[in-house]
Amino acid sequence: MTDINLDDLTHLQAINKKLTSGYHISEQDTLMWQELDQHIDAYRALFNALGHDLQHDSRGFYYFGSDESTPNMGKISRAIALTIYILIEHYANTGKDPMRALFDEVNDLELMQTLVQINKHLFDQLEIFSGSDLRKDVYLRMVRLGLAREVENGFMLQAPIYRYIDALMEVNEETYLGDDE
Amino acid sequence: MIPAKKLLNTLTEHWGVLELLFKRFKMADFSLKDVQNAIKQKQPSWSNERIYKETNRLLNQDIIIPLAKSSQLEINRAIADFATFLLQEEHLGLAQEISVLVDDLARLGNRLAKAGEIEDYDELRRFSRIMDDRVRKIMKLFAHNENAILNIVEQAKADNAVQSLQKRYQAVIEAFDEYIEPMLEMVDIRGDFHACFNTIEAQISTQIEQIDRLGKSYQDKRMLEQLRTRILEMHLVGRESLRKSADMLMPLREELRRNNLITRQAAKVLGLVRKNGVDNMLSAVQPNFVSDAQRFSLGQQRHIVAYMAGLVDFEHDEYQLPEHDDVPAYQSPHIPDYNDVKTQFRKRFKKASKKAQPLLSFLDESYPDLEADEMLFLYQKLISDGDLEISQSQEKVKIKIAQQHFSLYPFNSSIADDKKATEQ
Repeated sequence: MTDINLDDLTHLQAINKKLTSGYHISEQDTLMWQELDQHIDAYRALFNALGHDLQHDSRGFYYFGSDESTPNMGKISRAIALTIYILIEHYANTGKDPMRALFDEVNDLELMQTLVQINKHLFDQLEIFSGSDLRKDVYLRMVRLGLAREVENGFMLQAPIYRYIDALMEVNEETYLGDDE
Repeated sequence: MIPAKKLLNTLTEHWGVLELLFKRFKMADFSLKDVQNAIKQKQPSWSNERIYKETNRLLNQDIIIPLAKSSQLEINRAIADFATFLLQEEHLGLAQEISVLVDDLARLGNRLAKAGEIEDYDELRRFSRIMDDRVRKIMKLFAHNENAILNIVEQAKADNAVQSLQKRYQAVIEAFDEYIEPMLEMVDIRGDFHACFNTIEAQISTQIEQIDRLGKSYQDKRMLEQLRTRILEMHLVGRESLRKSADMLMPLREELRRNNLITRQAAKVLGLVRKNGVDNMLSAVQPNFVSDAQRFSLGQQRHIVAYMAGLVDFEHDEYQLPEHDDVPAYQSPHIPDYNDVKTQFRKRFKKASKKAQPLLSFLDESYPDLEADEMLFLYQKLISDGDLEISQSQEKVKIKIAQQHFSLYPFNSSIADDKKATEQ
């Protein structure tokens, strides 16, 4: 049994608030990240007892695992997934190193407009019709989930994006939920 | 023949120009005009005449030489090699270069053994010297290639993301396929390299033994020993350098492989999504998030499980319900042992039995430290004790004990004896 001294967990309140809202704490959130890193056993035991599943990804982020999403969150997650995959393809098509560009380049409104234009057919399904729609519906939500951070003239993606890349590698014909199923 | 010192002077004087030419044109040719421009750039104050003179000096001393059948120029190969060494701008050599030298080493080893057999010490010395030279050359190649690989790695890492993957890693892939892999094969413990060194080492050791036994040409022994050490060291250095180079290249190769995989997969998935629709394709694999809506409810199965688990553990683990009979009667720590009280009571009221004494005032006097409730506890014990003779008063009396007032029909010490006596 882990002894939990609540006095040691100075940022418990902030961390709990962030994590329960689906936020991913990555290294950029220095204070909370360090705190979690130092007392990981205590936090894990505590959150476990509360029915949360605190996950630590070695690529540098913490989050609450979840087996299911509310319909609304599911829709958001799919929109984020699609955006990321389109970004990867876009970078590769323009001859860049996709994994590097994904995390190093600022995603500005111009890029968003280009993405939506090129993939109109796909974004239409998610009711995203313009670059500013994409910004509002995807990027701002990514910020709220800790997947991206806002910088001077756009957004930078952060390490938790790897969850989507892992998901990408899982997709194959079998994951298709056709109408007959 | 140009005196070496004169050449070196010119080199130091014009090193800036040469470095510029070397970096700008790499190994390609350039025109006379380019040389003059380079000098002008380095020494802006010089007059045209002076520049012309200096250019001629470089040409006369064969530092810059004209290409065959052309007016173009190039840097003398020897000087260029020297510059690559100084600037560490080394280019990766071929694995074959090293393997040729090793083969030659094996051949020389055989010759050395033969010379030893016929006791031709001049020959022995000569071969040992050549072998020594070869070994140094191999070591130099190892160091050179290691530097070259370091350059390749740095370039691949430093290049901006604008360049395409293919280009960025081309040099890495080439270095790996054309140098590291054949070399690793060669250095492998079962490879030719190893076998060859074992033979050479054995041959040299035999020679040393021979010299020891015969006592002839003793000074050669030292040379042979040195050669043997050097070969062993070379083997070690080579392995070390290859390991380091491979370690540097490996992550980049992995990165490339992974990036290619991800790009391919992304294209494939987007293709599937286009065909089947976003929701159908991605619902099954999308990462899930905890959301605000779930925060205040036992929304998920896991929450309910945790809740149930909480219920099971609700009673504290360490708490055990007591058995009925092993509960000792509660005793306030202040209360004196009842038997003592009883003895004292008897002692006191054995003689003073003329007047009825209120029990409570006896207790109050005897145990002034006790609380009121503790005193009452003793009181009720005394009055319910059948052994003692006490009687209850008929009148209600107010009594003060331990700062508390009570009104009751008090029990008093018995005066029955007297009464009996008087009655009788």
